[in-house]
Amino acid sequence: MLIGLTGAASGVAVAGEVEIDSGVVGATSDILLSAVDVAKSYSGVPALFDGCIKLRRGSVHALCGGNGAGKSTFLNILVGLHQADGGIVLCKGRAVRYASPAEAFADGIAIITQELSPVLDMTVAENVHLGREPRRASWFVDKRRMISATRSLFERLRMDIDPKARMRSLSVGQIQLVEIAKAIDREGEILIMDEPTSAIGERETDILFEAIRSLQAHGVGIIYVSHRIADIFSIADSYTVLRDGRFVETGAVANIDRQRLISLIVGRSLSDHEKRPATARGEVMFAAKGFSRGNSFRDIDIDVARGEIVGLYGLLGSGRSEFVNAVYGNEPKDSGEVFVEGRRVDIRTPADALRCGMAIVTEDRKETGLVLTSSVRTNISIAALRRFSRFGAIVGRREVAAVDRQIAHFAIKTASREVPVMRLSGGNQQKVVFARCVETAPRILICDEPTRGIDEGAKRDVYAFLASFAAKGNAVLLISSEVTEILANADRIIVFRRGRIAGELRASTATQQSLVHLAG
Amino acid sequence: MSTPNASVEARTPRFPAQARWQAIGRFISGYGIVLSLIIMVVFLAFASESFLSVVNLMNILRQVSINGIMAMGMTFVILTAGIDLSIGSTLAIAGVVSGRLVIGDDPLSPILAILAGILTGSLFGSINGALIARLRVPPFVATLGMMSMARGATLLYSGGRPTPELSADFLWLGQGFLLGIPVPVIVFAAVFLVSWIVLRFSVYGRWVYAVGGNPRSAKTSGINVDAVVFSVYVVMGALAGLAGPILAARTTTALPQAGLGYELDAIAAVVIGGTSLTGGVGSVANTLIGTLIIGVMNNGLDLMGVSSYYQQIVKGAIIVLAVLIDHSRRKNP
Amino acid sequence: MMTLGKITRRAILALASISVAAVSAGFVATAEAKPVRIAAIVLGLTSEFNVLWADAAKAHPRVADGTVQLTIMDGRIDAFVQSNLMDSAITEKYDAVLFVPVDVNAGNAPVQRAADAGIPVFGSNSLITKMNLYTSFINSDDVQAGEIEAKSVIDKMGGKGNVVIIEGPIGQSAQIQRKEGIDKILAANPDVKVLEIKTANWSRAEAQSLMENWLTAHPDRINGVIAENDEEMLGALQAVKARNIPSTKIALAGIDGVTDALVAVKRGEAMTTLQDATGQAQGLVDLALRHIQGDAYKPAAALWDVNGGALAWQSGASRHYFVPWVPVTAANVDALMAMRKTH
Repeated sequence: MLIGLTGAASGVAVAGEVEIDSGVVGATSDILLSAVDVAKSYSGVPALFDGCIKLRRGSVHALCGGNGAGKSTFLNILVGLHQADGGIVLCKGRAVRYASPAEAFADGIAIITQELSPVLDMTVAENVHLGREPRRASWFVDKRRMISATRSLFERLRMDIDPKARMRSLSVGQIQLVEIAKAIDREGEILIMDEPTSAIGERETDILFEAIRSLQAHGVGIIYVSHRIADIFSIADSYTVLRDGRFVETGAVANIDRQRLISLIVGRSLSDHEKRPATARGEVMFAAKGFSRGNSFRDIDIDVARGEIVGLYGLLGSGRSEFVNAVYGNEPKDSGEVFVEGRRVDIRTPADALRCGMAIVTEDRKETGLVLTSSVRTNISIAALRRFSRFGAIVGRREVAAVDRQIAHFAIKTASREVPVMRLSGGNQQKVVFARCVETAPRILICDEPTRGIDEGAKRDVYAFLASFAAKGNAVLLISSEVTEILANADRIIVFRRGRIAGELRASTATQQSLVHLAG
Repeated sequence: MSTPNASVEARTPRFPAQARWQAIGRFISGYGIVLSLIIMVVFLAFASESFLSVVNLMNILRQVSINGIMAMGMTFVILTAGIDLSIGSTLAIAGVVSGRLVIGDDPLSPILAILAGILTGSLFGSINGALIARLRVPPFVATLGMMSMARGATLLYSGGRPTPELSADFLWLGQGFLLGIPVPVIVFAAVFLVSWIVLRFSVYGRWVYAVGGNPRSAKTSGINVDAVVFSVYVVMGALAGLAGPILAARTTTALPQAGLGYELDAIAAVVIGGTSLTGGVGSVANTLIGTLIIGVMNNGLDLMGVSSYYQQIVKGAIIVLAVLIDHSRRKNP
Repeated sequence: MMTLGKITRRAILALASISVAAVSAGFVATAEAKPVRIAAIVLGLTSEFNVLWADAAKAHPRVADGTVQLTIMDGRIDAFVQSNLMDSAITEKYDAVLFVPVDVNAGNAPVQRAADAGIPVFGSNSLITKMNLYTSFINSDDVQAGEIEAKSVIDKMGGKGNVVIIEGPIGQSAQIQRKEGIDKILAANPDVKVLEIKTANWSRAEAQSLMENWLTAHPDRINGVIAENDEEMLGALQAVKARNIPSTKIALAGIDGVTDALVAVKRGEAMTTLQDATGQAQGLVDLALRHIQGDAYKPAAALWDVNGGALAWQSGASRHYFVPWVPVTAANVDALMAMRKTH
């Protein structure tokens, strides 16, 4: 059912009552972008029924919604990546229907996408100026101007990145910052940001928000899409909520509270984050001693007890991902030993790790976690094929039964188990990754930013799963850059700083400040 | 959860024409190649009286057997996002090696000769595999080099001379019939069947698809990516090593210059069939259709007396079209 | 704006329409009175000699006036392809097949199959080991050609010095027989030494590479180049000219008389012998027609004695005809080139 509020004075509008400010609106009006009843179906499946939004000058408008809410679809239409099946979009008062992002861009709309697609073998400056390189004698690229322009842009935004560095050498978070800077540099009137903070840490988020505020002051309208409720309340002034492809509500952020916003998005009432109950520590299940690799990480000693969730917190580039991947055998190490249940094990490849009962949910599910072109079934069963096969041949019935069990257990929303995973939403893709891990019956689970780019509902499912997994007597290593997430889900928190362990805290007594302080 | 609001939907204008086009486009790209094959067969049946005769259809199957056997192997390779340009040369040297064993007064049994051919092919395939999987040489470069090396080895070993007068038992492999079906066709069918079963139902088949779809994810899932990559080139070499002796038996002579350019036909069959060059998507059933399309096209145009210059143009156009369809299917899922 | 999807769909429709149109046209064309149907399977249309041969066959008066429907099939210098083409010709029940085989051994089986199916095969230019399978055969004596060219080179060398020999594809009858002729002349000239002998597979490019390497390996020592065909001779000539070696220092000879070779003769850079492609091709068509239409058939090609030419017709009953070679000299090269231009 649609939830409604009465009172035009509160500035809230509900489905069926949205007006279009047409005719009166001219190019100098307050409203930069407005859309009504935007609808879109993919391959016959409707993704959006009646998308609506109204973006004013100098406003940061949060577009909220869970997975499958239709946010990405809506954005794709606004920026011209796809064409709507129905509805009206007005840009600065003019009805528009963009056939390509180039047309939208010409109208002053720029987007920072959730998927980062940098040109890895070019430098930072080249990426920032891609397509609009400063020229000398109209044929040649003016490299010097490009680099100095990039440098002053970064200085203005307080980003500490070398314009001459190759994109390949940057971390995921740094790449995201570069993409943000690139979009800001284009100086469009409308800026759309899709999950801009998903890969960056707290300090970088502050940098971003400062940049947003200064853009606001210049009259730029920003559509801010994020799953992070805290972000929305700190930066946005208005909101629109979509759910299951339909418009739910729009209004001012000042007139709503966290609880209500979450319930609008999720559609059910939920309680806020709580911490884990403090319990006595069991016997040590997993230990990593003396892990080092060059400058990435040095002298890392970590152990995890049965039933314990150890959180690894730190800033970008602090070495947590590199460390856990080295433990798992995905990446090399210079030194380090692994002990499972007190016994030393030799892990050189992921196959060894799997055999010792370890499983990993990697940081970037699209790059290293999933085979996008393969089906849900294939992805879930791939690491545990031995269990469904006899003499090298796969027993279809066994596989299907196991996969169906996982789909039900994790509540993976998919039309069928044969659908290629690239068609699933982010949250469901992540669930597929978890299902794959669980299928190998691990006792030690490593999660690297497991809730990145997924919605509230899915996040809670993940937290619930981690808690129950640990409760069965298993061990969990959880990497997260979200302070609240780590405080709520870990028993102990180990803080990384520049490749070394800076400190260890009990979650029950730790505070946001102490964590951030340790991380540098 | 909200229930669908009928009045909302009725109010929203749609663009029906576009939706219909999308549906047609999806249908064509899904079944396009089978449709094309059927269309070609129908046209040719009208254009030439002899096209649909049993004899001619058997001819077509026999003619595509050599390319078909190798195209099955090429499917494995392309599924891992690799490529093998050396198969024409491998085919030649396998043919010469096995041919040498069945001449003279005391020829070896054909089975042993074929085994020798397969072993030879596997040897060259494993060199490819080692270069690509262990030394990380890009497949294009490694197999391009192997193309020359294997051809040179063939010329060296044979002295540049053909090996004629192969034993009658051996010639049966290329000229004979089993239950009314030409032997090369039976071999092709067997290779197809085994490939299909392996890729669809075996653990190894899953590994091949995973490695092609995303090698890093495959590695994380515990698959030995290097071993899988190595293996597909050995498979390819073995199948080229099987095709070589059969071709020699068919032409009654093991020619050192056999197989020139055959790698392109194998790749064309795979690509036309719809397997993606970027890996992870496709099947040998697709390749079978692709092989048949090339064979039917060649045969039909020959029967109609069309100049071979046109044949080459048409074949190239079909390849480009197939890749375009593959791309558009990727973009609009 | 056109998306890729739209372009693809239109392309599919276009291709489908073109196919329909093309086939309908073909269908209409074949629905006429029944002429004599002859298929000609050539070696490969990348060789100029074969192209000349095919063009000459098409220019035969009985083909030009529609009595004969001639289909040229390209063997792509591949024995397997030729075998497949023969199968297609048998399926299509041609009245006769003209055949220029790639390999002396591999050519036997296809001809046998045609004979088994009752289709007469007429051979040209290249032999097969089982010559009796041919109904009749017309070529030029390759042994004689080898002798002619070897002699011309050695004479120009003054009877002594070093030569290099560039061969055709090993196993093709032309290579085998021309080598036989060359060897005969070499045996008679003990003062001539063979420095190198290798195949260039009838390819100009391959021959050029070979010659370049030989010139490096044996600087100033090569006095003559005997190339088994003109394409190879021209490749070697390129290599020689690239090094600015004057044509007086090295004697070069080829066989066939392709256009570029005629030009070289005119410029005094090389020697060659004309293989009468026209004579072979058109003569073969005559032989096929005589077999099909009976003894009363009047041959139309110019090379027959009954038409004023040099070769005896013998009522078209002989199994093997040799078309004479025409050594190309400064005296006749202009006339020969003029003939080429009328094609």
